[in-house]
Amino acid sequence: MRRSLYHAVLWLVALIWFAPVAWIILSAFKTREDILATPPKLLFTPTLQNFRDLFTTNASFVVQFANSVVLSLVSVVIAVAISFLAAYAFSRFKPKGTDFLMFLLLSVRMLPGPAVILPIYLMYAAFGWKDNHVALVLFYAMFSVPFSVWILKGFLDGVSIRYDETGRVNGGSWFHVIFRVVLPQVKPGLIAAFIFNLIFVWNEFLFNFVIGGVQTQNIPYALAVGTYSDGGLNWTFIATMTTIYILPPILAIYAFQKYLLVGMTFGTVRGEV
Amino acid sequence: MAAVTDPIAAAPRRRADSHRGLVFILLAPVLAFFVVFNTIPLLWLLGLSFHNFSLTSGMPPEFVGFQNYYQLWLGRNNFWGDLSRTFTFVAVGVTIQTLLGVGLGLLFWGSRTMPGRRIALTLLFAPMVLTPVATGTFFRFIYDPNFGVLNQMIQGLGLPMVDFLGSPATAYWAVLAVDCWMWTPFMILMTLAALGSVPKAELEAAEIDRLPFRKRFTLVILHHGKFILMLGILLRVIDSFKTLDLIIPMTKGGPGQQTRLVAVELNKQAFESFNMGFSSAYAVYLLLVSIAMTSVFIFVLNLRRRRGS
Repeated sequence: MRRSLYHAVLWLVALIWFAPVAWIILSAFKTREDILATPPKLLFTPTLQNFRDLFTTNASFVVQFANSVVLSLVSVVIAVAISFLAAYAFSRFKPKGTDFLMFLLLSVRMLPGPAVILPIYLMYAAFGWKDNHVALVLFYAMFSVPFSVWILKGFLDGVSIRYDETGRVNGGSWFHVIFRVVLPQVKPGLIAAFIFNLIFVWNEFLFNFVIGGVQTQNIPYALAVGTYSDGGLNWTFIATMTTIYILPPILAIYAFQKYLLVGMTFGTVRGEV
Repeated sequence: MAAVTDPIAAAPRRRADSHRGLVFILLAPVLAFFVVFNTIPLLWLLGLSFHNFSLTSGMPPEFVGFQNYYQLWLGRNNFWGDLSRTFTFVAVGVTIQTLLGVGLGLLFWGSRTMPGRRIALTLLFAPMVLTPVATGTFFRFIYDPNFGVLNQMIQGLGLPMVDFLGSPATAYWAVLAVDCWMWTPFMILMTLAALGSVPKAELEAAEIDRLPFRKRFTLVILHHGKFILMLGILLRVIDSFKTLDLIIPMTKGGPGQQTRLVAVELNKQAFESFNMGFSSAYAVYLLLVSIAMTSVFIFVLNLRRRRGS
């Protein structure tokens, strides 16, 4: 009895915390009249009209959504791949200046966004790289590297060097040792780095806004500059779009809850919740 | 001691020399990225901070020495105001998040057997992975004086309507409240991790000794969990110092300068007014702050590595 009361309290806390998000999701199923109704309607006849409108009347939404998907997927794949190689070198060979470089990498991530992007903006403007998918992907990849290197180095340090040595002694090539022997053992680290950078780039708006443009615009950029305000904000549209857009990250933390802690702390704290 | 048991720590430095080619190949991509996207831009930034350079004027950069730094130091554009607002934002926000997070984390401690735990935790942790711009936009809707749900509730209680984001008295706190809502889950997460690092045997011993909860908390839980908690607090401090995405859709720094944090002002100076020289000096000041914070972070991390395990 006490036990179920305790669980009920926990559920209540979780639901209260989630309430604002639930309010967004509910609003997506309301008509324009219902969404602006006073007093707010908790009970209403749900409609899918908003979702239909989103895909039919607004061609730019589909493009922006596709941009979000492409930019985050491609850049994070590149970042995790090259970060794994670097983390392997840092962990196994400890070249001179490892600590310093790890520090520099991290301090990029600790800098406020506008300070990071300001010189990049000038560089991109000078070379005519603005509003270009490749240029944006490269920047996002660079920005995802520090995080990934930190997470992966932590995991690689936890894999005994004996594996590498055994592999080498038995005549395995470096390629074999790195990708066949060591890589499978740091899979959790790869997943954590992948998911967290993916969520970051997915949610990112400033960099896209500053060095991107009409062609590379993602959804957060569109939201931030108020593309969808036809004289006052179009709330049904925003609620619907937001609902679709926040669903993937929420599903990701459900599916990958084990990796939440690793990801959120640059791999400096490990363990499960 | 650690050097003997830990084969990686024991790996001699000459390993790097005997595999120089391999190390270079492995590091080359990241180094190339780092030089192109980090070192060069940073030097560019540093150089520009000594120039008077506006993109709108069409004039070439003009060398002015330390003038930009000096003007900021003297408080041009209310630099100190922005900084102190930001530090208040960080201090108050992180304090609330830590207290709430530790409290709720302790509450969730014994939830291993809870039905639907994974879903409940997903709902609880959802705010920190939401798109900040979307969250900010929607909170504008929730805070709206006319049809926002919050004002409806307030008026339902018979209280006068409040223009949360429009009035100078409430805007700052309204934004801070959303930040706390978003990031308290992070401190819950860190608290759960910290609690997970407390050895079960010691907790049982404390139970048998019938230590009162307060003593159990300070002597056993904090003793083992404090490093993880400290890392969590530091990460929050660093992250909330950067707050920007949330504020842009809600208030854009207004009303007046009420919610103008350093990142918001730098964003405006650089990408609305295009004062590149001035903004560069601003950015260099912020760079110094974040280097200091990163150093503290790594210091604490090494402290834990040395004492832990």
